[in-house]
Amino acid sequence: MEKLVDSRGSACPGPITDLSKAYRNSQVGDIIVLWATDQGVKADAQAWAKRTGNEIMEIKEEPDKIVIKIRINKR
Amino acid sequence: MEKVLIIGGGAGGIILANSLDLDQYDVTVVDKEAEHYYQPWYLYVAFKGSKRKISRPISKLLKPGIRFVKDTVKEIDLDNRKVYGSYEVTYSYDHIIVATGTSPDPNVIPGLNNVYNQVGDFHSNLENSRKLWNSLRNFNGGNIAFGMASPVCKCPPSPIEGVLLLEEYLSKKGLKSKTRITYFTPYPRAYPAEPMNRIVEPIMRERGIEVIPFFDLDMVDTENKKLKSIEGDELNYDLPIIIPPCKGTKIKFRQDVKDEDGFIKADKYTMRIKGYDDAYAVGDVNNLPTSKTGVTAHLEAKVVANLIQGVYDKFTGRINCPFDMGHGKATFVIGDYENPVVEYPPSRTKHFMKMTMARIYWLTLKGYMDPLFDFYFEYTNPKKLNEKYNKSNPPKASSQPQ
Repeated sequence: MEKLVDSRGSACPGPITDLSKAYRNSQVGDIIVLWATDQGVKADAQAWAKRTGNEIMEIKEEPDKIVIKIRINKR
Repeated sequence: MEKVLIIGGGAGGIILANSLDLDQYDVTVVDKEAEHYYQPWYLYVAFKGSKRKISRPISKLLKPGIRFVKDTVKEIDLDNRKVYGSYEVTYSYDHIIVATGTSPDPNVIPGLNNVYNQVGDFHSNLENSRKLWNSLRNFNGGNIAFGMASPVCKCPPSPIEGVLLLEEYLSKKGLKSKTRITYFTPYPRAYPAEPMNRIVEPIMRERGIEVIPFFDLDMVDTENKKLKSIEGDELNYDLPIIIPPCKGTKIKFRQDVKDEDGFIKADKYTMRIKGYDDAYAVGDVNNLPTSKTGVTAHLEAKVVANLIQGVYDKFTGRINCPFDMGHGKATFVIGDYENPVVEYPPSRTKHFMKMTMARIYWLTLKGYMDPLFDFYFEYTNPKKLNEKYNKSNPPKASSQPQ
């Protein structure tokens, strides 16, 4: 199942908190698509994926947002 | 007269009711409790043993002419503008605002209910905050595992405020050398927003608090006194201090407006419930990409009051969370949808401001402090503060309206 997490504009607590919440509600095989505007999300999502054993499929910069696609491999 | 129905007598619901023109609108506030609590003070009950009276009857906080009904709302039908309470009571409306806040849900994490009932916490209610104070008074040294279980919702600074006040308490009691304090968090660093983390982590390190990032609590093994994380790590404890996960509203909606954790899907600028122009979700209960705090509920309520009364307005995502650093210092977490959190240094003056805010809270609910707040919010405009304090880390991306 693909799940969109719209975290655009989140200054605090920030997109990583939304990603963490979506992960808790996910299952192996799900795809989380995270939209954010905070530049720090790229490094945070990579560190998060490495630590939790999940996979960053794509990080894309669009004019109004950063799009990060994550495949849930471990839950 | 148009009927405005507000479900919830927390900060958002009360401020909204008191901001409406009562000559034009017939306003009713419904809440399952008769008392309103000043929740930020739970922190001082739990870590300082404060006995200050922190509740008032909701009916006394509303301006004369506003109706208060103590009732539990069971179900809302947005298409037919019907709200179902207890004992087959129904309410109708022209405008509805759901402002029911969040509620703790310790049952989500196996074993957490035991900790919740035995040790207490400082987020849920007054009784549990007093319980935590008693647990601390009976503590004579050992491992304290301190953290939060996700989904975390309320007040992002409060977990760290708690651990810093705990350290202050242990220092004053002479227990610091006999205690190891470990702070665990599901995020990559102690404070999720990086600019504030640059201030917070060095202070935690200096005070001997060990930070364990990426520890998303999965279960509490009460028999072996261990916490286990989704990532597969373990943490031993003698005293666990854990903020329980929280959920949105338990009210049933006939329409699909809630996410999987019970938060209401609302527009981030107008707080209108998605798909409706006569229904709003204000404060902690909505799913806006901002902090769940009293100040956001306050600012959202003001915007919704204007929109109902035909005045153009939009919420900027402004946050202004007071952040107690312990030992008499504090800062504020300030930002909005367009500007990142400010790297705002702590000071004794800011601590005084936080304490003053607690004293004037009851006047704030009635709107008596509005001119002071208007001045304060302009003086601490996130864009201006970012230019002053975040010079080395300017914002790189900006959000676009949806």
